[in-house]
Amino acid sequence: MTEEQQPRPKPGVCIPWQEKLKELPEISGDEQLVRRVWEDIDGLAYVYIWQCLLSF
Amino acid sequence: MAEDMEQLYAERLKRYVAAMRNEKPDRIPIRPFVAEFTAKYAGYTCQEVTHDYEKAFAAACKCAADFDWDAVVANMVYVWTGLTQAIGMKYYGVPGIDVPVDTGFQYIEPSEENAFMKPDEYDQLIADPTGFLFNVWLPRVSADVTATGEPTSYRSNLSFLKGGMAMLSYFGAFGTQNARLRCECGTVSAISGILKAPLDILADKLRGYIGLCMDLVERPEKVLAACEALMPHLTHVALSGADPEKKVPIGLWMHRGCVPFVSRQHFEKFYWPTLKPIIEEIWSHGHQVLFYAEGKWDTHLEFFAELPAGAIVYHVDMGDIFKAHKVLGDKFCISGGIPNFLLSYGTEDEVRACCKKVIDGVAGDGGYIMDAGAIVQNDAKVENIKAMTDFTREYGVY
Repeated sequence: MTEEQQPRPKPGVCIPWQEKLKELPEISGDEQLVRRVWEDIDGLAYVYIWQCLLSF
Repeated sequence: MAEDMEQLYAERLKRYVAAMRNEKPDRIPIRPFVAEFTAKYAGYTCQEVTHDYEKAFAAACKCAADFDWDAVVANMVYVWTGLTQAIGMKYYGVPGIDVPVDTGFQYIEPSEENAFMKPDEYDQLIADPTGFLFNVWLPRVSADVTATGEPTSYRSNLSFLKGGMAMLSYFGAFGTQNARLRCECGTVSAISGILKAPLDILADKLRGYIGLCMDLVERPEKVLAACEALMPHLTHVALSGADPEKKVPIGLWMHRGCVPFVSRQHFEKFYWPTLKPIIEEIWSHGHQVLFYAEGKWDTHLEFFAELPAGAIVYHVDMGDIFKAHKVLGDKFCISGGIPNFLLSYGTEDEVRACCKKVIDGVAGDGGYIMDAGAIVQNDAKVENIKAMTDFTREYGVY
């Protein structure tokens, strides 16, 4: 599937990083670290709701 | 792990994978999808294996070890009702609470008026499926979750906390269970990951079967757009749970997308065009999909034949397995075909005769896996499951 066909938010995402980033003060440390951890945990919420739908 | 157990596991994995690749293994692999049967055999009630997943795991291991099966599902009584109760899910009939203690759990479909998604909500689902599930669907299917805009509550907060922790606990335990099957039984965990067709999800969990049938006539463009909106999410979920070694398939549970639940025209317009690209995408990543074709799907075999060779394993429930083999056998492995009513009400001789007929007609060149037609519940006779197993082990040698 092409990028244009992807829905918003993308699969695997509940609250996109770019949306969260706007809420944060300027990140003086490693932004990629903050982003990765945000996205990893956000992905768990995505798993939760879609597994509720599909598996339970 | 004992070296001989690891060797046994390796032999079974090789046998199972060879058959799924439509090749000829040393003998026909035996991979029964046994659910509440495991409780009956291991001495548990349906309530015990449904509400206490450690007992379900133990029962699956006991069956795998005692019957010497090549592959099993780690827990085919897949719904842990402890988890669904923690979330407050309304649509389950739980053994020992809503249904008798020795009856398998049930799905309770709401009336058309009480469907979990209303007919005028398609645009919301299409715009943001994940948001719709959290904000609209979950508050309707859970007795505890409050809807967006309503005051939150202790029970609502707890539903997310307990549900999330319970899901992590349950899914995390599958790693241990798979290792246990391998180390203690030398048995392969048969599938990894889950997929459902977009149209099936609309019928099963959102609009209900009757509501969807009305929508197919009254708002077909919305149904198609909803299926298309679900496609990337269902693909993502399937791939995220797939076997990283690309050996065992993703399970596709096929429910009500076939004739006579929908017409052939509706299958062609809605079901297949929104499932086929998902299968092709998954196959492009190197993962097979097990088409667990519950009911009769004979009318649609020619469509499944459009898929790339090797992309699926086609499982036969009540369909004509010989026809399935004729149409699909050149490209795909076939599994199943032993009727569940025979395993419940037939004699051992009748089971053996049926297995011989299926093996003779379908398995000659490999590419066949022995299994019942549908998931085996506690009505199956132990001696008939044993007859299916023992006959195949003896007669199914190449």
